[in-house]
Amino acid sequence: MSELVVELSRWQFALTAMYHFLFVPLTLGLVFILAIMESTYVMTGKEIYRDMTKFWGKLFGINFALGVTTGITMEFQFGTNWSYYSHYVGDIFGAPLAIEALMAFFLESTLVGMFFFSWDRLSKVKHLMVTWLMALGTNLSAMWILIANGWMQHPVGAEFNYETMRMELVDFGALIFNPVAQVKFVHTVSAGYVTAAMFVLAISSWYLLKKRDLPFARRSFAIAAAFGLLSSLSVIVLGDESGYELGDVQQVKLAAVEAEWETHEPPASFTVIGFPDQEAEVTNFALKIPGVMGLIATRSLDEEVTGLKDLKEIHRQRIINGIYAYTLLEKLRAGDLTVKPEFEKVKDDLGYGLLLTPYTEDITQATQEHIELATQNSIPQVAPLFWSFRIMVGIGFFMLILFAVAFYYNAKRTPEKPTWLLKTALYSLPLPWIACEAGWFVAEYGRQPWAVGELLPTHIAASNLAVSDLIVSMTVITVLYAVFIAVEVWLMQHFARKGPSTLKTGKYDLETGKSEA
Amino acid sequence: MEYELLKVIWWVLVGVLLIGFAVADGFDMGVGALLRIIGRTDNERRVLINTVAPHWDGNQVWLITAGGALFAAWPIVYAVSFSGFYIAMILTLAALWFRPVGFDYRSKLDNKKWRSNWDWGLTFGSAVPPVIFGVAFGNLLLGVPFQFDDILRIEYTGSFFALLNPFALLAGIISLLMIVTQGGTYLQMKTEKQLLARAEGISTLTGIAAAVLFMLAGVWLWLGLDGYVVTSQIATNETLSPVMKTVEVGEGAWLNNYSKYPWMIIAPVLGIAGLLGAGLLSFAKRGALAFVSNSLGIAGVIMTAGFSMFPFLMPSSSNPSMSLTMWDAVSSQNTLFIMFCVAMIFVPIVLGYTAWTYWVMRGRITEKHIEDNSNSLY
Amino acid sequence: MWYFAWILGVLLACSFGIINAMWLDLNGYEGEDE
Ligand code: HDD
Ligand code: HEM
Ligand code: HEM
Repeated sequence: MSELVVELSRWQFALTAMYHFLFVPLTLGLVFILAIMESTYVMTGKEIYRDMTKFWGKLFGINFALGVTTGITMEFQFGTNWSYYSHYVGDIFGAPLAIEALMAFFLESTLVGMFFFSWDRLSKVKHLMVTWLMALGTNLSAMWILIANGWMQHPVGAEFNYETMRMELVDFGALIFNPVAQVKFVHTVSAGYVTAAMFVLAISSWYLLKKRDLPFARRSFAIAAAFGLLSSLSVIVLGDESGYELGDVQQVKLAAVEAEWETHEPPASFTVIGFPDQEAEVTNFALKIPGVMGLIATRSLDEEVTGLKDLKEIHRQRIINGIYAYTLLEKLRAGDLTVKPEFEKVKDDLGYGLLLTPYTEDITQATQEHIELATQNSIPQVAPLFWSFRIMVGIGFFMLILFAVAFYYNAKRTPEKPTWLLKTALYSLPLPWIACEAGWFVAEYGRQPWAVGELLPTHIAASNLAVSDLIVSMTVITVLYAVFIAVEVWLMQHFARKGPSTLKTGKYDLETGKSEA
Repeated sequence: MEYELLKVIWWVLVGVLLIGFAVADGFDMGVGALLRIIGRTDNERRVLINTVAPHWDGNQVWLITAGGALFAAWPIVYAVSFSGFYIAMILTLAALWFRPVGFDYRSKLDNKKWRSNWDWGLTFGSAVPPVIFGVAFGNLLLGVPFQFDDILRIEYTGSFFALLNPFALLAGIISLLMIVTQGGTYLQMKTEKQLLARAEGISTLTGIAAAVLFMLAGVWLWLGLDGYVVTSQIATNETLSPVMKTVEVGEGAWLNNYSKYPWMIIAPVLGIAGLLGAGLLSFAKRGALAFVSNSLGIAGVIMTAGFSMFPFLMPSSSNPSMSLTMWDAVSSQNTLFIMFCVAMIFVPIVLGYTAWTYWVMRGRITEKHIEDNSNSLY
Repeated sequence: MWYFAWILGVLLACSFGIINAMWLDLNGYEGEDE
């Protein structure tokens, strides 16, 4: 398979996934903000809360449409572009995907239609139930897809079967309760809540700055500030938990994120900032805080955090074992069952053997040079990981402070007074999206060169396509996705600018003439 | 549960999901395909769109579920078919993208050009996928050029244009006609006056045409196409991989099953009667019955394809012995069992709340309704 | 059990949002007449 096909397939997957994730977090969070608004409406009976639900619901709908559009691509892309992957782990990976559709997508997609079109046909309480169930549906979908993704990061509960040449599920419970999947889920949905809170806070701030629709804007601001404060706290706490989980199961990623080349005496220090150099295997100009790293990764002062150089040495050994495992596998598949007990002993290193596929046609004949290449490339590039992680964390702390200040002024009932706060909130609008994309970059790029951790290298996972196939698909995807996002952003700002007047109730400022657009 | 039984159950369940998709998503695709034909003014088109507005997204999940179930139950089929039909799949995806945005954005602005462009998008997005799915099924019956290497990596040697052969194109047209009829008969239940009359006229034509072409395809299958036959013993209750059997190609072999299991003849009969009935009932202005009849017809057509090929799922024309069958292209027993339990719990729940939404949204959509709620409808 | 923590956490955050909204509304904002 040509290197270019793999490269292009990776770009295509990354592009479509990152694009999908522009819309997903807003859906995950805004749906709960809608539920809050509508619950307040049902409890207080004040119509303004119903109008809030409907107006923010309109923006929710515009975003949701693209979330669905881009999600369809994701569902089919494993088969189109990662066909060996689909065969090799479909027995495990397919299950959560199918369950996600049955349990979550049906619920959210069926009820989203009810949310928009049944205001006059359902009682207040029934409509509120619809909104809450829709919220549950969206978040359950995140849960199942992250169980699937968590398994790729840290595959548990599965066994290799040499006859069918694939991994097979042995423990469904282990798949669901995979610790990586759990922390991933809570961190990611919290990130969604923060995103939506920031969205509502920023747009409400804009109305407040313009002194338009004050009652509407203040109440939206209040809900966003309260919901955002708790969510930004939780995204940080749970992010730290993700880091702790990495220390346990994905040491390479952790060491790369921290640019830890050497294994130091415990407790390890935390590099706040520095310039990692992949060639020389050092981090230049590193500013370090002693001890903190050890605390994050191991929750103790006396355990080691293994550095990249040592990890590579471990990989080299496992690659050599992997060659042996592969040799035995060939014998087994040719019908020589006597080597089976021997194979059972080394089969955990089979994946490491497959790391050689980009460098040699025949793994059993790999030379010293091939092994060296595979070893060097058994860790991801450090600098991009190091920086994206710091961007995410920096944004996390900044948003926590912002929400805390916003909440303080909201509690004092004067959110419209400090214009510096309103302006900061407005300009912070893109931050949660940047943090989310950076987070996924850390999670996914940090997993390289593996498609499924220590089992299946990315290189071998790709479909055997022609370069021309990928050029066609990449062109179609880029062009249409560019058109869609242009339309989406334009519609968003169009409706956001007009504000609640788009509901045509006749009550809001642009309609009564109290204020100009 | 026995592995063999689970394999059969999943063969049935995937069929049910495909039928569910064609029946449910089929009618909103049909409406989308007919949008510019039945709806002449903007208001008329809005009526059409709003007949499916609350439901199309839920319906589309049948497709997503079918994709997911294929992945979980027959991973290697998912892998071979989607990567093999690569360009066709990308084209399908590109078409499908226009539906969510089309439905949602079209009426958000009051601008002629804008709305007309999205109408084209909806037509494209709704008419192209059924054609491609039909073409894909046609190619399955013809055999697909793929094989495996010694660690089961897939080598596919076909091209996109080779998919567009006469038999497959006929299958594509049948599929489109069925889906359009599905949309037309649905509109008979949800619209009135001139829209209702147009829907009746069109469904009459498409229903009858679909039935005739389906019979033609049957004759072609019998006289003109080679089928595939397994010539070795398959240990159906065992864990198998797709390279452990021998298969031969035989003239007219796709009809063997009907002499072996005569009851299977129900499927083509249901297909012909259902599609024809849909046309005639539309002519007789019995919209609801026509919809039921067409749904049964769709089920019959899909079952015909499944029964003819049994136990094959994807025959390989490059190396017939590497064909994928429902005995050897399946997931492990454990996965099949778990997924079976999940399906038994969630499919009834899904059907329950879906039925409830149709009940809540019951009644015909009128032009007056659109004018009165111009701001909140699609 | 993080799944469990999620259910509780999200309900807590939502209640917090609802209570905050109702509490502020109870005493009214400056310069608003009902
Ligand atoms: C269920 C599995 C799954 C899920 C939920 C995600 N990904 Fe992923 N990702 C993959 C499964 C995967 C993959 C199939 O395994 C890829 C393709 C090539 C590879 O190495 O992993 C991948 C690659 C990949 C890459 C490229 C890495 C590289 O090629 O070096 C990026 C940047 C992302 N993904 C980002 C994302 C984002 C933003 C996601 C959020 C929606 C996301 N992934 C969800
Ligand atoms: C690579 C893996 C992924 C696949 C295959 C996938 C698949 C899909 C599909 C098919 C849809 C459309 C459903 C519909 O028609 O309603 C969708 C939407 C959605 N996805 Fe993904 N997705 C992936 C990644 C993710 C991740 C990582 C998350 C969350 C953390 C997520 C959360 C959602 C949500 C909340 C929706 C519905 C709301 C919206 O569309 O905005 N997805 N996804
Ligand atoms: C200061 C706080 C934060 C810390 C310590 C933190 C930590 C982490 C870590 C270690 C990962 C990688 C997990 C893995 O690879 O398995 C991650 C991923 C991620 N982060 Fe953060 N993060 C923080 C803030 C944020 C913020 C503010 C957002 C967005 C609003 C965010 C969004 C994400 C997303 C979407 C992912 C990918 C999903 C996942 O792997 O969990 N994070 N985070």
